[in-house]
Amino acid sequence: MISCKELHVTFNRGLPTEKLALRGIDLTIPQGEFVTVIGSNGAGKSTLLNTIAGDINSTKGQILFGERDVTKVPATGRTADIARVFQDPLAGTCGDLTVEENMALAYGRGKRGRLSPALNTKTREIFREQLARLNLGIEDRLESQMGLLSGGQRQSVSLLMSALQPSTILLLDEHTAALDPKTAALIMDITSQIIAEKQLTVMMVTHSMRQALDHGSRTIMLHEGKIIFDLAGEQRANYEVKDLLNLFAQARTDGEELDDDKLLLGA
Amino acid sequence: MSLFSFLGTLEIGLIYGLVAIGVYLTFRILDFPDLTVDGSFTLGAAVTATLIVMGVNVFLATVAGTIAAACAGLVTAWLNLRFDILHLLASILTMTALYTINLRVMGKPNVALIMEPTILTPFEGIFGLPDMYMRVIFVAVCALIGGLLVAWFLKTQYGLAMRAVGSNKRMAQANGIVVKQKVYAGLALSNGLVGLAGALFAQTNGFADSTMGIGTIVVGLAAVIIGQSLFASRSMYVIVLSCIVGSVLYRLAVSMALNADFLGFSASDLNLITAVLVALALIFPKLRNEWKAKQAARKEA
Ligand SMILES: Nc1ncnc2c1ncn2[C@@H]1O[C@H](COP(=O)(O)OP(=O)(O)O)[C@@H](O)[C@H]1O
Ligand SMILES: [Mg+2]
Repeated sequence: MISCKELHVTFNRGLPTEKLALRGIDLTIPQGEFVTVIGSNGAGKSTLLNTIAGDINSTKGQILFGERDVTKVPATGRTADIARVFQDPLAGTCGDLTVEENMALAYGRGKRGRLSPALNTKTREIFREQLARLNLGIEDRLESQMGLLSGGQRQSVSLLMSALQPSTILLLDEHTAALDPKTAALIMDITSQIIAEKQLTVMMVTHSMRQALDHGSRTIMLHEGKIIFDLAGEQRANYEVKDLLNLFAQARTDGEELDDDKLLLGA
Repeated sequence: MSLFSFLGTLEIGLIYGLVAIGVYLTFRILDFPDLTVDGSFTLGAAVTATLIVMGVNVFLATVAGTIAAACAGLVTAWLNLRFDILHLLASILTMTALYTINLRVMGKPNVALIMEPTILTPFEGIFGLPDMYMRVIFVAVCALIGGLLVAWFLKTQYGLAMRAVGSNKRMAQANGIVVKQKVYAGLALSNGLVGLAGALFAQTNGFADSTMGIGTIVVGLAAVIIGQSLFASRSMYVIVLSCIVGSVLYRLAVSMALNADFLGFSASDLNLITAVLVALALIFPKLRNEWKAKQAARKEA
């Protein structure tokens, strides 16, 4: 379970470039729920995920994983709970290392780096088995340099890497946005498989309204650092892409003036 | 080149192989260009020589020199990580400070070890080997052991984590790697190796001098670049050993250039020769790739 209470993030506090990126996020995601996150550019979606992961320190508010208060825990202290896939296919893997070395890094996530060999026959077997799920033939290229793989292949490997260690939370930040439609569909397929298998608590940021409605069981919309819309259950089931687009347009034109009445329209 | 000067060149090349491995760790593995080594080479030599003159056991003195140099690396890492001082600048600051510290450690510009016991003393006359062979074998064994240990280390979970930090910090962090800790460890290890090289150099050459470290970084880089342009491999063992081979080849090339009368070089031309050698080593792989691309294009046509 993830709970955010009154979460605020301000960049460059006290400087002329000060930016209020999150302005009081209250959000509780029960164990095993899959939430899709939408919102226009600069709404604070990535900031929210990065703050939950611990890459960014909150200026105010609280974050809990289950009962555990992790607000002050640095990112590396949260990796036992959190797996992530980034938007940039190059960000989730090391181009200078081989495929198997990358997998070995993810395999060691949440454990301490020790002086035992990073790779052995047993781990290689696990990696090969996992990679075979992709049907991309990467299982035969364990010793290739990651940088030689295409963006789609790298993103696929990042996704598998996120699932190598048991974790309870999966954070996906537009992880299919940089891919061609066919690869994006493949990645989304495997994503769903992994989530179902491991019963993960998921937050998935997406630009695609279709994706936002087709996946998961709840959709939230961010606007200027606030959650302006939280959709679940039957109401969400009746929602169409065009309804979401309407909401988007509203948020844009109304800007600051968006008031409680309009929020109620959706709620 | 006489056999005597050949062995001498080999000896220095092997010692600087440790420097090359250290430079490889910072420049290539951690992506942290570190110029501290100019100071930490001398620091390793200065601390070891001073302790030996004070009567401390030669092995302890060598270990102390190595640790002192490792600490110099920690200072550079601290300046960079704690205060966001650019890595290059942080290392220049430490290097500059070390110049004074090395003079303070020795109490004078140089310390002679000619009359003192050194780490080589126990091996004198072993198997009836003449000294000049024994010395080369001794430093070769040191360089090899150092190289193999580093290669082994880079293949462990900890070492792999260090390589990830140099390649993609964000990914490393997302996988639970404490980035700063790896940078500290890497700089300590790198400068420790360089300090060990300084300590061995002082003992094989019979002196420590406050200026002996000048240019260490360029020599180390030259060795790394020469080694890597000759042996393109992804195996850590090959890469680390190619640093040592690169260092030896660099020394041989320099010494041949200086000895070839028809070229008319004198010892003071060393820096120009170094620069040209490094430039050649950098140009060579690029020309080779261009040539290969041209060949491939011709085949297709
Ligand atoms: N490191 C940073 N420093 C300053 N401003 C930032 C930083 N990261 C994000 N921002 C700003 O915060 C706002 C939210 O950004 P982000 O969370 O990336 O939006 P998105 O919803 O598109 O993912 C944007 O206005 C962005 O410019
Ligand atoms: Mg974003």
